[in-house]
Amino acid sequence: MPLSEHLTDEELVVVIREKNKELYSEIIRRYTPKLSHYLRKFVRNPDELEDVLQDVFIKTYRNLYDFDANKKFSSWVYRIAHNEAINHLKKYHQEKTSLDAQELEIIDKNINLPQTIDTALLKIKIENSLAQIKNKYREPLILYLFEQKTYEEIGNILQIPNSTVGVLIMRGKNLLKNFLQSYDKR
Amino acid sequence: MTKDNPVNIENKIMADIKSGRVKLRSKYIFIAEKLGLGSAFALSILLAILFFSLILFYLKASDNLFYLSFGSRGLFAFLESFPFLLVASVIILIFIAGFIIKKSGAFYHKPFGRLALGLISLVISLGFILTFTNLAEMIERETFRPRPTGMFFRPFLQRGFENRRSGIAGRAISINDKIIDIQTPRTLEKIDISHIDTSTIITLIPGKFITAIGERQGDVFIAKDIRIVNEEDILMIRHGVHEKFGQFNFKTTTPPPGGDPTHCFEGQCPRQKI
Repeated sequence: MPLSEHLTDEELVVVIREKNKELYSEIIRRYTPKLSHYLRKFVRNPDELEDVLQDVFIKTYRNLYDFDANKKFSSWVYRIAHNEAINHLKKYHQEKTSLDAQELEIIDKNINLPQTIDTALLKIKIENSLAQIKNKYREPLILYLFEQKTYEEIGNILQIPNSTVGVLIMRGKNLLKNFLQSYDKR
Repeated sequence: MTKDNPVNIENKIMADIKSGRVKLRSKYIFIAEKLGLGSAFALSILLAILFFSLILFYLKASDNLFYLSFGSRGLFAFLESFPFLLVASVIILIFIAGFIIKKSGAFYHKPFGRLALGLISLVISLGFILTFTNLAEMIERETFRPRPTGMFFRPFLQRGFENRRSGIAGRAISINDKIIDIQTPRTLEKIDISHIDTSTIITLIPGKFITAIGERQGDVFIAKDIRIVNEEDILMIRHGVHEKFGQFNFKTTTPPPGGDPTHCFEGQCPRQKI
């Protein structure tokens, strides 16, 4: 097993910066699945997603000296990904969020949907509803529900106070619930 | 798709890194950025504190607040002489400092409202403390000198020396029933007092400072009300007049026995440093 695999992200960054740039491939390997999962909530088109992801990794590499090795690397790289996703949304258009079965279950658990409905229909409803929620609420909600980030990590990624994270998530959940209920009334 | 082919993206990026097309930005760039942001923040806060202290000095030492003593009739003169540029500069500098904090992400754990309140409190309290020194007065004096510091601060304080349309302040040099000649920091002016009750200026003698409200008609200022002011209370006007016309050595129109018959013109003596 290569030595780099035993290093933490933060230790790895220090080695990349000072000694061995090629170890950056380890960072890419570690974060490609996580970041593509996160970015898929903003960018649905696979080609565009790949472009955004590539931009994220390039930006991360270029700015490695800006990273404070005493802090958490994952929050920093998620922040870069978040900024790139927002830039992409601004440049193009607000896209529908795509969810997989596991994520659907998470939403169902968190929002406590009252009635049992067809999963396929529920998926469409949730995807549409998530797309209608303002980014301000959608971003922390996505990080909390689908990326399983803590309030502190979300605060570090979005650069907002932890108390604000809690408020935004709570409001986001309520908005999502309201959108879903308004769907049922239609 | 990326999820299915993570190797593809890894190879592309690593090829770019190895070929040198994608390079690490130097750590010195980030250090310089941080230093630049830090300096800009410090400078904007220091200037905001200094300008706030200049506002307090301006309000205390100019004729601005005196116009309010005339009631609602003095409102225009008050607004005309209000240091809007200084107030706007303080607000803009606080905004710049807040923007730098937000941009740098240094205090994002703290609610921004609380930070903004902290910044405003810091500027107000330190600005207030600064008024106990004579820094503002030194800066005000400096605006009369052709030096870079004077030239920098002049636009912010010159409103205190400008001629106004609905208010006037200066040193009386000659008085009669209808006209008072006064020296303002800019020029010699005539105040027409024929339409007002002059009981408030019964003790007025040349050399005293006055403020009046009214309106300008040609070269004459038609007073609607007039007050004698302690010159210590309008230091800026006094400094301005002294700089323009020199100190006032009060002499009566009749020279004292054995005194110098060539007394100063209407109380105007050669300019000397105060």
